[in-house]
Amino acid sequence: MVLDGCSLTLDDVVAVARHRKTVSLAPDARRRMEASYAWVSGVDDQPVYGVNTGYGSLARVRIDSHQISQLSWNLVRSHAAGVGPSVPVEAVRAMMLLRANALAKGASGCRPVLVERLNQMLNAGVTPVVPSRGSCGSSGDLAPLAHLGLVVFKGEDGSTGGWARYHGETLDSATAMARAGLDQLVPGPKEGLAMTNGAQLTCAIAALACFDAIRLVKTAEVAAAMSWEALRGVTRALHPDVHKLRPFPGAIACAANLRDLMKDSALTDSIPDKVQDAYSIRCTPQILGAVRDALRYAVTQVEIELNAVTDNPVILLHEEDENKAFSAGLFHGEPIGFAADHLKLALCELAAISERRLYRLTTGKLSGTLPPLLRSGPHLGLVIPQTSAAALVSENRQLAWPASVDSIPTCEDQEDIVAMSTTASRRAAEVLANSQLVVAIELLTAANALWLRNREEPGVKLGVGTRIALAAVESVLGGRRGSAAPADDIAKLAGAVRDGRILNTVEDATAPLRGVR
Amino acid sequence: MRLDGETLCVGDVAAVAHGESAELAPEARARMEASFDWFEKRGNTDIVRQKWAWIGGGSPGELTARTFIEGHCAGVGEPLEPEFVRAVMLCRANTLAVGHSACRPRAVEVLLEMLAANVIPVVPGQGAVGAAGSCALAHIARVACGFGGEAYRDGRRYPVARAMAGIDPLEPTEKEALSLINGSTLTTALGALVCARAERAVSAAEAACALSMEAVRADLGSLSRLAMDSRRHPGGKAVAARLRRLVEGSELVHARRAVDSFSIRCAPSVLGAARDALDYVTTVVERELNAAADNPLVFPGADVVEAGNFHGAPVALVLDHLKVALTQVASISERRTFRLTYAKLSGLPSFLLPNSGVNSGLMLAQYTAASLVSECKGLSHPGSVDSIPTVQHHEDHVSMGPVVARSALQVVDLLADVVAIELLCGAQGLDFRISGQRTDEDGELTEVPKRRPGGGSLEIHRRVRTLVTRWEDDRVMHTDLAILGAAVRDGIFDPPYDPVE
Repeated sequence: MVLDGCSLTLDDVVAVARHRKTVSLAPDARRRMEASYAWVSGVDDQPVYGVNTGYGSLARVRIDSHQISQLSWNLVRSHAAGVGPSVPVEAVRAMMLLRANALAKGASGCRPVLVERLNQMLNAGVTPVVPSRGSCGSSGDLAPLAHLGLVVFKGEDGSTGGWARYHGETLDSATAMARAGLDQLVPGPKEGLAMTNGAQLTCAIAALACFDAIRLVKTAEVAAAMSWEALRGVTRALHPDVHKLRPFPGAIACAANLRDLMKDSALTDSIPDKVQDAYSIRCTPQILGAVRDALRYAVTQVEIELNAVTDNPVILLHEEDENKAFSAGLFHGEPIGFAADHLKLALCELAAISERRLYRLTTGKLSGTLPPLLRSGPHLGLVIPQTSAAALVSENRQLAWPASVDSIPTCEDQEDIVAMSTTASRRAAEVLANSQLVVAIELLTAANALWLRNREEPGVKLGVGTRIALAAVESVLGGRRGSAAPADDIAKLAGAVRDGRILNTVEDATAPLRGVR
Repeated sequence: MRLDGETLCVGDVAAVAHGESAELAPEARARMEASFDWFEKRGNTDIVRQKWAWIGGGSPGELTARTFIEGHCAGVGEPLEPEFVRAVMLCRANTLAVGHSACRPRAVEVLLEMLAANVIPVVPGQGAVGAAGSCALAHIARVACGFGGEAYRDGRRYPVARAMAGIDPLEPTEKEALSLINGSTLTTALGALVCARAERAVSAAEAACALSMEAVRADLGSLSRLAMDSRRHPGGKAVAARLRRLVEGSELVHARRAVDSFSIRCAPSVLGAARDALDYVTTVVERELNAAADNPLVFPGADVVEAGNFHGAPVALVLDHLKVALTQVASISERRTFRLTYAKLSGLPSFLLPNSGVNSGLMLAQYTAASLVSECKGLSHPGSVDSIPTVQHHEDHVSMGPVVARSALQVVDLLADVVAIELLCGAQGLDFRISGQRTDEDGELTEVPKRRPGGGSLEIHRRVRTLVTRWEDDRVMHTDLAILGAAVRDGIFDPPYDPVE
């Protein structure tokens, strides 16, 4: 993959972060970087923030030219102030890729070797240890990126710091880099700032969550279709003309997917006098449609940020002004913080409606002729999985409090409104993981219900999509006999929800479901 | 430690979580035997079958103790830390030792033997609603009865048979199968650990506050006994008394200085309110630790009663309160850190370093504190206000206690780091005062007479400086934060080290 600062996609982020796809710097981008670095290194008397001034409220302090590298190295060391559990490797890799791409834009006044070093670390599998807590998301994810900087850089005096994972071991940064055959760099002017100024951890976590959420919303539609058929629901709620009357794009796409999945089902519309279903069935297009619309907003924001400069100051070489460094606020995490908070809300509702459907499936009075708790043998049935789903939904609600509405003044009131966007993204990732579990529980419950329908009416025909989905669930579980402990079945299905096995099987056998764009 | 079903306290739970073991007290054994014998003699196990039918949707079918427990094993997510599972095992054992569960002493002994041998079941960390049949307890019971699952033994993960080598698994009666899993013990056990950790974190917050008061040269009036007594809150009185002891003899903090900002002046009120909350919460949790949190309940010679003692509401509610209290402690601590690092507010150099500019000093420590406080605020939103109907409307109101307890553990963990940051900044600020330095109106460092802090403050300062040296030039901040955070969690700043008033 070639980084040019302009064309990174969600799929690219996943390919590098999770699947170790190799990266390199585009020649054009290299030229742009060289030009902007040339201007920065020629800065002499005029004050340029972060090049020859202190940081934050210390911008009032001028720095001697002989201390310019020391300034950057000190920034990295003193800003490496994260605490708590480490960020997962995939999110650190995504953060590195995003930082490299932002610098490749060529407006940061740093050398191409910075991007090259990041690329080499990604390609070799050197992953800095980044504590997950302590970033305000403004001016960017300073602490998390400084922990990355500790591995990329060293001081003029040879001092080093920080830790990295390499080949399964946690090593001090110098050892990790040496084993990978890479030099640590002595920072040039502004390079400490170029490495740390921007909300890349916020965006890295949000990007991975968006990718997974797109997969999850489609998988949730597959689960919903299975439940719909198991409850012998009425498909009139999905009629295309219905949705033309309230034309939200998400609802239109969701209804179309559900129609496709349940096509040719003998179970739907099979109860003559039934005119409509409960909300958790009937309103699925409205709720999952709203989820889709929210997700589209989040994806749009994240994709802009993937190819954005998030630095300060930015170097505008084409400007007439002698001072080509423009101080602004491109580092501020708010645009992605909002997106992550909104994504979180959407996923809460995705899980909430899923839980209500599986509650319905396990509640005798609500499920039609299905046995209470879907008990079919000398086992307890699926009573506790529903309870577990309820706990997850409630946990989501607690995590849904929007982090981006909070702000606490920092840096002597110079940075007086901050984004808290990193917290928003981290919580979104937690809500995503919980919601994947809930959908896994719905798949387990709906599959049990469909097996019972088949027992009632042997050979009863399922929809063209749901019959594939049911077979995929059976394949993941290793047959129709569940494990003694439902936890084991849920864990297996959760794995298949996360890695997309269920969804891919359905899409391969039928047609791709509508995405969120 | 003797487990008697009556006197378990949060300190005991923390001790066992961290490796101590316990044995069943003879009087508890006698109570357990009496309730088991009476229940068996009465031949009234039908009530358990009815219970199963209730849970199992109408008919107990061919359920056995084994399938009943296995069917409850539906936890999800990453495994709980083994220390948390140890706490849960101890607390459930104590509940059974209360003696209203008609369980044989063996049901407790097997759990205690597992604790002693450090055989700790793998328990998924999520998926419990804190009412009635607990999936967390079921995962423990499954191992204790040798039915299946996995357990850690001395840190390594094994299938049940290998993990339980040398321990006779319980062969549960139907009632024992029910009693092993029926209660909100996960909430209670985690809540006990939260209380124990909160005590340390709040003590350290008081110590940090004393350093900050010295560093900004606070007025002594805010600690006035007259003022505190006139407001009557025991927490406020206790916090002010401790702070008075710590600054006793100080030449920096004294009466009739300028009026301080709220983060200094109102510290006894805010920290005191948190102390009162913690006292209240600990009282409730300790009551629950020794409660018959089970169903049905067996009263030998009298009756078998179906009630709702398993419901997690009492503890869930107070843990929500404790989260809010701890967030207040974190929030006011961060404001003092902000003040210390802010030249215009502190009379000390920007970010507590005279040569700031090429150095950023302690700038980022305050950012980190701000971020952690913001996380606390989010996690403090109450979990117990939510409820989702479960089990076919039978269990139509649940506590969400485990969700609350897990977020409370996060809040107390975050608080430790916030307080560590104030200790770092407070000690750094005090260094200037001790060496007779302050900044003038232009922000230039000037020499002033050296002044002595209180003896207690000086001891806290010494403890900080034993762990981390004074900042002269920028270095890796994380190292200092990690060291001081661990010290707060280890109780380095607990009150016993204070001078006596």
